Amino acid sequence: MTPRSDKLTYKPDGNTPQIERHCLTVRFIHWTVTLSTFLLIFTGFGQMPVYRRYMVDQLPGMAWTSDFAVTLNLHYIAAAVLIFASVYHLVYHGLRRDFSILPRRGDLKQSYLIMKAIVTGGKEPPSHKYLAEQRLAYVFIAISIGVTIITGIFKVLKNMPSVSFSDGFLDGVTMLHNIGTFMVIFGIIAHLGAFIIKENRKLLPGMFTGRVCLDYAEHRHPLWCDELFSGKKGGDEEKLAG
Amino acid sequence: MAEISRRDFFKRTIASGVAAGLVLSGGEKAAEASTGSEPAGTFIDMTLCDGCKDLDVPLCVSSCRAKNRERFPQPVQDIPNYWPQDKKEDWSDKKGLTTRLTPYNWTFVQKAKVEHNGRVQTVNMPRRCMHCTNPPCANICPFGAQEVTKEGAVLINPETCFGGAKCRDVCPWGIPARQAGVGLYMKILPDYLGGGVMYKCDLCIDLVRAGKDPACVEACPKGAVRFGPKSEMLAQAKGRAGEINGYVYGEKENGGTSTFYVSPVPFEKIDKALMAQKAKQPNPEAPGFPGMPVNPGNFLDTPNGIAAGILVAPIAGIFTAGYRAFKTMKGDDADDSQV
Repeated sequence: MTPRSDKLTYKPDGNTPQIERHCLTVRFIHWTVTLSTFLLIFTGFGQMPVYRRYMVDQLPGMAWTSDFAVTLNLHYIAAAVLIFASVYHLVYHGLRRDFSILPRRGDLKQSYLIMKAIVTGGKEPPSHKYLAEQRLAYVFIAISIGVTIITGIFKVLKNMPSVSFSDGFLDGVTMLHNIGTFMVIFGIIAHLGAFIIKENRKLLPGMFTGRVCLDYAEHRHPLWCDELFSGKKGGDEEKLAG
Repeated sequence: MAEISRRDFFKRTIASGVAAGLVLSGGEKAAEASTGSEPAGTFIDMTLCDGCKDLDVPLCVSSCRAKNRERFPQPVQDIPNYWPQDKKEDWSDKKGLTTRLTPYNWTFVQKAKVEHNGRVQTVNMPRRCMHCTNPPCANICPFGAQEVTKEGAVLINPETCFGGAKCRDVCPWGIPARQAGVGLYMKILPDYLGGGVMYKCDLCIDLVRAGKDPACVEACPKGAVRFGPKSEMLAQAKGRAGEINGYVYGEKENGGTSTFYVSPVPFEKIDKALMAQKAKQPNPEAPGFPGMPVNPGNFLDTPNGIAAGILVAPIAGIFTAGYRAFKTMKGDDADDSQV
């Protein structure tokens, strides 16, 4: 068993104990995916093309937005960064056999119970490291990003001089790329919208400093705390729900 | 009628036989090109083109207009502006304009006076889409409204084009011409989205597929515009350039095109002359009057270079993840103890 005190640090006030929720690698991947995805969405819309039409390029410092040579190159660079971060994420957690963010059996029902408790002010069911809806949201965003990456690779290949695909195939790829993009945008809105709920805001510091308040963790994620302090991985390696 | 000698008669007979043979074999090859064995090409011999100087409108232009009249845009009466801007691209009141590229005029002839080797020479150039080998216009169309056919023609589908004009921006010659008030966007949110439909030469793809020459080729009275398998047209262009100690345009430009011009004067000088003409026009910014920039790069050259980085990215991701996971699993990195 790991001594409980080894896991704790304190806020600058010296009185509020915290525990680590996200390591440096996870935070690095999260913010790399975030920044590259925002850049991809922004430059992707620039390919429509909309920034000249809606005069965004006339705003101070935004003249570059209607220059396709700039926006397409940025789109490609951001795509390379996103692919790097996505593969890093998959391989890193795969090698460590850390699947705590993948859905478990009963997550839909658990999500409903958590939402119900938030709305009615009742008691939430105890959670693991991630809330059930976080695990479901992860799959949604992962699929959305996966679709845009795979279709994006085909779009990159078709721009090469010696590569050609059939028009029907490219139409399908373009449509899926656009659908994937809107799914990602919806996922981001839902992800950020979750912080409208006060209870969820206590998770925010974890994405910046890596640490969350111990009180919050013990209150809302007792199953994770048990695993953490007992040194056992608990259910994190359980098979995925079907 | 002047009398001809027996020797002249035989010489002319043989010459006409050879010429007929060439014409027939050329026609056969054009048909072959249309069957897809090789993309088609065009060879424009500027030493032969005089811009149909005795006519108001060159025959290549009038034949193109006649052939495509049914396909010209028919916009609505009240064309909405491109909100939030207070303008739109409307050429419907300039349908008769034949001195530039418009949605109603898919080819025109430029004339340039150029001094070269101490001589002032006038050259004429029929201009239209170059039908590039790797056309950025078709590749980057966000609506997938463009395609490259096996015959080498770059086509715009007027049913799906939204008129964003991105194709014109990435074309080194700014060839596609936009007409507002027509097309798919008029059925969606015409006040707020879309800009019309882009129009340009389609290489008379219907004729080519039927084994015939494009209208402009057929109409040229000087034989200045030739059409056939691309490699053969390029060989002819190079051969002609060698004969006159001239210059070839279109082989390398934009990464390669299927339209090859041969000129007795350098294209750098022609481009300069055209740009000077453009600068004197009432609205020098107006599209549809292309220059002849020598060897402009393909818009996709840089992105395709970056694409190598995209292919390397997953490998970098695997190695970084492997290194970090190995370190933390060994317990060397306390910062990654909690995931």
